[in-house]
Amino acid sequence: MAIQVSGITKRFGAYKALDAVDLEVRSGELLALLGPSGSGKTTLLRIMAGLESPDSGSLQLNGEEALGLKPRDRQVGFVFQHYALFRHMTVFDNVAFGLNVRPRGQRFGSAEIKRRVTELLELVQLGHFADRYPAQLSGGQRQRVALARALAIEPKVLLLDEPFGALDAKVRKELRRWLRKLHDDIHITSVFVTHDQEEALELADRVVVMSQGRIEQIGSPADVYDHPSSAFVYEFLGQVNRFDCTVENGVAQIGNGALSIATDHAVRGAAIAYVRPHDLGVSPAVGGPGRVSGIHVVGPDARVEIELAGLSLEAEMDRERLTALGIATGDRCAVHIDRARVFAR
Amino acid sequence: MVAASSSDTAFPRAGGAVTSILKKPSVIPGFGLTLGFTLTYLGLIVLLPLAALVVKAGGLGWFGFWNAVFTPRVWAAFQVSFGLSLVGAAINAVFGFVVAWVLVRYSFPGKRLVDALVDLPFALPTAVAGIALSALYAPNGWVGKPLNELFGFKVAFTPIGIAIALTFVGLPFVVRTVQPILQDLPPEEEEAAVSLGATRGQTFWRVVFPAVLPALVTGFALSFARGVGEYGSVIFIAGNMPGLTEILPLLIVIKLEQYDYAGAAAVGTAMLLVSFVMLLILNILQHWMRSRHAR
Repeated sequence: MAIQVSGITKRFGAYKALDAVDLEVRSGELLALLGPSGSGKTTLLRIMAGLESPDSGSLQLNGEEALGLKPRDRQVGFVFQHYALFRHMTVFDNVAFGLNVRPRGQRFGSAEIKRRVTELLELVQLGHFADRYPAQLSGGQRQRVALARALAIEPKVLLLDEPFGALDAKVRKELRRWLRKLHDDIHITSVFVTHDQEEALELADRVVVMSQGRIEQIGSPADVYDHPSSAFVYEFLGQVNRFDCTVENGVAQIGNGALSIATDHAVRGAAIAYVRPHDLGVSPAVGGPGRVSGIHVVGPDARVEIELAGLSLEAEMDRERLTALGIATGDRCAVHIDRARVFAR
Repeated sequence: MVAASSSDTAFPRAGGAVTSILKKPSVIPGFGLTLGFTLTYLGLIVLLPLAALVVKAGGLGWFGFWNAVFTPRVWAAFQVSFGLSLVGAAINAVFGFVVAWVLVRYSFPGKRLVDALVDLPFALPTAVAGIALSALYAPNGWVGKPLNELFGFKVAFTPIGIAIALTFVGLPFVVRTVQPILQDLPPEEEEAAVSLGATRGQTFWRVVFPAVLPALVTGFALSFARGVGEYGSVIFIAGNMPGLTEILPLLIVIKLEQYDYAGAAAVGTAMLLVSFVMLLILNILQHWMRSRHAR
């Protein structure tokens, strides 16, 4: 089911959480709403679910106006960051909740409910945990129960609010892969909110980058990473070196000419240049302009901090490359920039 | 303090079966000291007077005890005290919950005032409450008069009056135990219920109410216990007709005034026993409810 958001505005007092947002969620896709806290992404998700109502704008679910509909009439599955499982119910009763509260005429018999819940618990690989209480499960298990519970009502849309936010790094990664696979299997239109760019880029078909209640960019993960439309998007998606510079004749001068970058963009005068750490090359050079001020090895990667003309830069490379270069803290070095983006100030 | 030092010296520190039960290794210091203090304190403040009561009653012998307790008048007073305390606690469980709900869920002008008002039955001398209530509900009182004239309905000097007094003194117990639990209830659980298709009623009965129920039972138990022991606020409105509106605490006072100390102690002991059993049942019930979702 497709979702069409048009001109949605929402204020909380004087604070504008959403500012005339337009967005189309395509049927069957997995869409990420990515942004820092306060960017309005969760508010937008809650408006889609009917847990919040906007001040103005319209929301269409499958071509039908949905703002007048109550949450329970929208056929939307919602997964909360902190699971929001019913503490006093077993896993089974949690998943069965949506089926048990249906109006009498539409309610399945208990055998059918049992069959469906068992099937869902198998789907989320928690078949043996039906009789447990939420407090007896780990975070990852609880979130899978929450997912099964949301899927039980056979929603047309699945909305997930920072679904991995409360989990530790390893479980988060596993569950992420698992969710991607689940989505590939059942193809339910899904929107998830996250502030973790890695999560959004890895998981989503399309990424919506939000900032201060507005959408900055919409595109495929590769698209938004390689062709960020604004300085904000560039800065938000991954590590970045940020320089003030002046652009003349297509060349950006950084640090009074200590570094220069060719730009192919129509930018003139005062500007900001961004260089990703892995686009910054380092080579040992006796009497070179830069000085290695620190080296941090993190697993297979190495981060090299460099001081150059009063600027501090960060370069990223794999460990083998670092060993091959043979640089150590305190060495002089030369710096070259493979790729950069320049935005007008 | 006596118990604390004795528990330290009686068992060697070097382990062994007995010490390992009493002294599990813990980073929180002072287990022996605090446990000893707790036991001593409870012994002096709670158990000693109760033991004295039982001993005094024991002076009657089984036969004397039986004769003192199992008379029609005492039996009637038992029914009045325990029955109406249950009624008062039940009324409080319902309306105390509503008051707590309103205080937690809505904001309105004067909310803090209402919140403070809830504690008044705690603070007011019970005799003052009793006099105020009986003045109000007496056949010539502000409320009692119209009730009597329009509906022929008597409140003061009937069991209804007692129930009203017990409801009055017990209300804060329910409100104050339910309020913090309602406050801490995450709104997400209700939102989840709504998004799963539950109506408001289903959300309340299936999600909110079960979460609050253990606290509600605690409030009920406290309100009930308070009602059983209540004296001051009841005696003015009750009318104190033996066998009809006479409560157990009053009966004890009457026995004391007749210098029947052992008889008073016997009634007190029986009261203690029944209260203890009822509170124990409520506690077990509550433990069972909590253990279902806090494991």
